[in-house]
Amino acid sequence: MSEQQSVPALHLSGLVKQFGSTPAVAGIDLVVPSGSFYGLVGPNGAGKTTTLSMATGLLRPDAGGAWVHGIDVWRDPVAAKRVIGNLSDGIRLFDRLTGEQLITYTAMMFGLPRPEIAPRVSDLLDLMDLRPAAGTIVADYSAGMTKKVALACALVHAPRLLVLDEPFESVDPVSAANIEDVLRGYTASGGSVIVSSHSMDLVQRMCDHVAVIAAGRVLAAGTVDEVRAGQTLQDRFVELVGGRHTSEGPQWLRQS
Amino acid sequence: MVATVLKLRYRALFNTLARRPWQLVGFIFGALWGLGILASVTAGIISLSIFGSLDAAAGVSILGGSALILGWVVAPIVATGMDTSIDARRLAPFPFTRRQTMLALAGTGITGIPGVVTTLVALISVILWLRWPLAALAGIPAALIGVAICVVASRLVGELSGGMGGNRRGRELIGTIVLVVIMLSGPLITGILALLDGGTGSLGDRFGAAAAVLPWTPLGAAWGVAPALAAGEGVLALARVAIALATLAVLGWAWSRAVDRSTSAPPRQSSRQVAAGKLGLFGVMPTGGVGATWARSLNAWLRDPRYLRQLLVVPIFPILFAFIGGVDGFGFAASPVLVAFMLAIGGYADISYDGTAYATVLATGIRGRDDRLGRLLGAASLGIPLVVIVSIVSCVLSGDAGRLSLVLGASLGVLLVGYGVSAVTSAMIIAPVAAPGDSPFKSVPGQTFVSGLLVFVVWAVIGVLSLPVLVIAVTGMVQGPAGWGLATLAVGLIVGCGAAVLGVFLGGRTFDRSGPELFDRIRSLPTT
Repeated sequence: MSEQQSVPALHLSGLVKQFGSTPAVAGIDLVVPSGSFYGLVGPNGAGKTTTLSMATGLLRPDAGGAWVHGIDVWRDPVAAKRVIGNLSDGIRLFDRLTGEQLITYTAMMFGLPRPEIAPRVSDLLDLMDLRPAAGTIVADYSAGMTKKVALACALVHAPRLLVLDEPFESVDPVSAANIEDVLRGYTASGGSVIVSSHSMDLVQRMCDHVAVIAAGRVLAAGTVDEVRAGQTLQDRFVELVGGRHTSEGPQWLRQS
Repeated sequence: MVATVLKLRYRALFNTLARRPWQLVGFIFGALWGLGILASVTAGIISLSIFGSLDAAAGVSILGGSALILGWVVAPIVATGMDTSIDARRLAPFPFTRRQTMLALAGTGITGIPGVVTTLVALISVILWLRWPLAALAGIPAALIGVAICVVASRLVGELSGGMGGNRRGRELIGTIVLVVIMLSGPLITGILALLDGGTGSLGDRFGAAAAVLPWTPLGAAWGVAPALAAGEGVLALARVAIALATLAVLGWAWSRAVDRSTSAPPRQSSRQVAAGKLGLFGVMPTGGVGATWARSLNAWLRDPRYLRQLLVVPIFPILFAFIGGVDGFGFAASPVLVAFMLAIGGYADISYDGTAYATVLATGIRGRDDRLGRLLGAASLGIPLVVIVSIVSCVLSGDAGRLSLVLGASLGVLLVGYGVSAVTSAMIIAPVAAPGDSPFKSVPGQTFVSGLLVFVVWAVIGVLSLPVLVIAVTGMVQGPAGWGLATLAVGLIVGCGAAVLGVFLGGRTFDRSGPELFDRIRSLPTT
């Protein structure tokens, strides 16, 4: 059991990815301990989505490797993907299906036994406040509802590791709070979450670990308290990444 | 201001082409094709103006001009993705008056490649009237009015169909209906003309009759001015000018209303609601990768216009051949095999239709052969019954039911071989296709050239692999079905099923190996 504990939920080692001549990820090492709630923060274009794609078997790395609970994602993708729940950012869903059909489809893809599917789908619809929209096709959902149904799909097979890319973007505050509770309960019972976000407040509040990445490299990683070193995460992030302007804006923009 | 918008549009076009070399190749071929048409039209007009009679010139000018306007009206319905880079709604945030907005939109319409070609053709057509100087002089403004009608009508229809874009299903339905009409337009026109004159008149007479009526309609009025003047009928010409101007005024008024509406009240999405708990096929299929993919694939074949479009060939081939060669002809007898050929290729680049939603397939870690088998079953659930029905119907109609096993064997053989080949190719080929929800007829620039070539390669492979079946079937056709019929059916099923199984196995291996690379290629596809 103690050996089981020591195997990290996600282990990234020396991940590298080039797109053309631009390096998107330039050697990322990361250890997400089992049972942790891990935040991944970085400015736009830092390589967060690319990193998470390589960690979940969607994008083959140029170098380096990824292990989920000790399973090599790129040696045995089928076994690895069984234990990953994945919410990708910026991809379409099969949006011609209704929300209920989409979650059911995902459950079937993971081969859940038929009697278990309906109750799980029903729970998830309630959880995401999607019950009234269950019969609406996903193409007609708002941005926030689409995010929530994608999150439901990531949860339906009860994965051991959740990889969530921008899960709270355009989700309303009430739903976000509900989802937050669920994720807390999930990590408390031994599940692990890695979440990318632009909201420092949210990461500081929810996560116990955080990694700051910029230009495809890890600038700082560890527990939230270690990384923020007495400052707010927001201030520490700006200090690490740089690029903050202090001017009051150009003269022509000022109204008086 | 208008100039800025025009510049913006060309900037956007060049940026797209500069980023995607293949699209540039397709674009160049498209431009060359346009130039070729322009050159041959010019040559035709010049020779007609020298050698043709006034009647012939009038007929060509009126019919051609009317067809031109009709084309501009239909284009925005058929190709909703035509030129969405600039429309009224995108200009809405800027402080433009309605007049400025309309000028900018009309300007982008005229300066696009179709607009330039139309304007040139319209002006070149004035050559027809050089023998009658007055007609030629009046022909220039008349032609410009005609071009203006083209552009304004097209913008109006575009704005209206965009307004109906609030009702996605409505737009998809209209698009599908229009395609059916276009594909069947040959037989339809023949039928209508036959009705009009009782089937007695020659083709020339029919065109003559049309050329007499069209100048009194909005379609032909502008193009009928010069011919009337050339014939020395000044009053007639004046009346046609009035009709053309009135058309333009009415269109312009309607368009300004539409622009107003779309800038101040963008269309809302209306949503289709089914009762919760209605899972459709997802409640029926067995759980697991095969069942889930099967349900999703069959769902797409039944609902997605991009798939439905491929089913249109099912009635069209037999009908076409019945028209051309009658129900006794060889073409009609062989049409089920052609239908099978067309249906089989429907999924040759199936993953492309998933778009980036393919990521959710990839993320579940489905085995390649499960995915292949699911998609094959989805296509076959519809394809096999359709081919069987077409075979039976065609045999019964031609009064030769004894041929059924022959036709059935050949068409099922081809269909199954094609499914097998598609199971492999769709794990290899990513073609730029219309995105889900876009018009199924929207062509992605540069698409036709490259993927058109690939389609022929895939067809050739299917043809070669189904040779054993086809050879036996043709032999049976020549020597009479007795004895050969059952042999064809048996060989067709054996070869077909063998190819399908092999295809699922080989395609599955390719899928397992290169799943992430396929996703990478989908993501880097041009999206507009």
